[in-house]
Amino acid sequence: MKQNAPGSRARGLNLATAQRILQHAGRLDNIPSGLDPDEQLQSLIDALCDLSVHDGLTGLVNATFFHAALTTEMDRSSRTGRSCALLVVDIDHFKKVNDTYGHQVGDYAIQAVARLMGKSLRGMDTAARIGGEEFAVILPECSPEAALQAARRIHGALNPFVVTCAEATITLTSSAGLVWTDLARTESARELLARADQQMYRAKRLGRQQLCHPPIRSTEVTSDEKVLLFFPAEGEAVDDN
Amino acid sequence: MTTELKARRYAIISGKGGVGKSVIAANLGAELALTGRRTLLIDADLGLANLDVMLGLYPSHTLHDVLCGACGVEDALLHARGGFDLLPAGSGLQDDAALTAPMADAMEKILAALDARYDAILFDAGAGIGDLVMFFARMADEILLVVTPEATSLMDAYATIKILSQRYGRLTFSLVVNRANPINPLQTGNAVTAHLQRVVTKFLVARGSGAVTVRLAGCVPNDPAVARALSHQCLLADLDPKAPSAMSFVRLAESVCASA
Repeated sequence: MKQNAPGSRARGLNLATAQRILQHAGRLDNIPSGLDPDEQLQSLIDALCDLSVHDGLTGLVNATFFHAALTTEMDRSSRTGRSCALLVVDIDHFKKVNDTYGHQVGDYAIQAVARLMGKSLRGMDTAARIGGEEFAVILPECSPEAALQAARRIHGALNPFVVTCAEATITLTSSAGLVWTDLARTESARELLARADQQMYRAKRLGRQQLCHPPIRSTEVTSDEKVLLFFPAEGEAVDDN
Repeated sequence: MTTELKARRYAIISGKGGVGKSVIAANLGAELALTGRRTLLIDADLGLANLDVMLGLYPSHTLHDVLCGACGVEDALLHARGGFDLLPAGSGLQDDAALTAPMADAMEKILAALDARYDAILFDAGAGIGDLVMFFARMADEILLVVTPEATSLMDAYATIKILSQRYGRLTFSLVVNRANPINPLQTGNAVTAHLQRVVTKFLVARGSGAVTVRLAGCVPNDPAVARALSHQCLLADLDPKAPSAMSFVRLAESVCASA
C-alpha cells in the first residue's frame, strides 16, 4: 500500500478517526498491538482499505469494487482484443430460506455458497457479492467458449448445494447468466451487467437451476466450409499456375 | 500529396505463413512513397521480424524497445531506400511476440502520435490468427489480406475473415492475390476473389447492418524477379522496375489509394 507522506496526516486520516471507523465495523480487534504510531496508522489504513473493498459477510469483493474491477477488465479487453466474460449467479428461492429458518441460517448459506464459488475460480477471476443473494464473477481474458466452460464448472458446483446449519439441512439451487464483451461494439460495465442479469432472469423464467447465455458465434471453420473452399464448383479453377 | 491529417492504416495479414506478406508490404510501401505519400512500414511480426533484413537495414533499436520504454520511437525509426520509413521489430525472442495490455496501450499511443506525421501506415503482421495479428487488424482502417491461389492459403484466409467478421465486426476485406498465373494474373485474382466471396456469402452471417465483402485490391504474378530482389536485399522497383511483379505494385498502390 502507498505510504502517506508525514505531512499529509494532519489533512488526511488520523489515528483516532481510523480507530473509530474500525470499531464501528467491529474490526478493531484485528489490528495488532504494540506498534509505533506510524505503523499503527498504516495498519489501520490497510484494514480500512480491506473494509472498503470486501463484503463483510462473505469476504468476497463488494459491489463498489466489483464495478471498478469490471470496468478495468473491459478496458483491458478492448485494448488487447481478448474478450472478458461476466457470470451472475442468484440463489433460487432464497427469501424462503430466510423466512423459514431465519436470517442467521440465511447468512450462513450465503457464506457457504461464497466459499464454494471461490474454490471453482481461476487465479485471475474475481468473485463479488453484488446483492443480497446475488453474486458475480469476472472471467478476464477468455474466449466465449472458455468462459462457458468456466461458468459451467462454477454453476455445476452450486447445483444442487446442501447447507447444514443449526440442525437445518437445506438444499439450494441457483440460476446464472453468462455474457461476454462484444469486441465489435462499445459497452459500459453497467450495460454488460444488465445483459448478464437478463440472462440470469431468463434462467429463472425457464424454471431456475440453470445457466443461460447468448448463442456463441463459433469462429471454427466447419466441414461444409472446408469442402466448398477446397473444391470449388466445376469450371471454376482457382489455382491455375 | 494527400492533405489528410490522419494516416490511413493498412494491416497486411494472411493467416497462412509464407505467402509473401513482407514482400508485398515492402514493395507496396515503396510505391506509396513514390506517389508522394509519407509512408511508414511497421514490422508488426514481433518476435519473428525480417523486414530490416529484406531491406538491407541494421536496426539498433526495435519496436519492442519502444513499447517497453527502453527508447523513443525516433530512436527506432529507419529510412529505407524505397523512400519510406521502417519501424523494425526483433527476431528470435519469444517474449517479444506476446502482446500484454500495457504494450497494447503503448502501441495505441505510438500510433496516435505517428498518425499526424504520415499519410499511410502499413502493418506487416505475422502469420496466424493470434492476439498480435488481431490487434493490428483492429488498429487498421483497411485489411489487405494476402492469399496465394493454393487451397491451403484460401482456407487460412477464410478462417481469418471469419474471426475478424464474427468476433470483431470487420465487414470488408481487400485481397492481394500473390503468385498469380503470370500469363493472366488478373484472371487468377478475379477467380480467387469470386471463390472466397462465394464461401463468405454462403456461410458468414453479417453482423450489424452490412454483409461481409471481399474485393480484389491487386494481383502479383509469379515472377522470378521476386526471389532475385529478396536475395539482393532490395526492392523490385530498384532491381527490375519493368518486371511484371514490379509493375503489379504500381497498380496495387493505385487501387489501395483509390479505396481510401
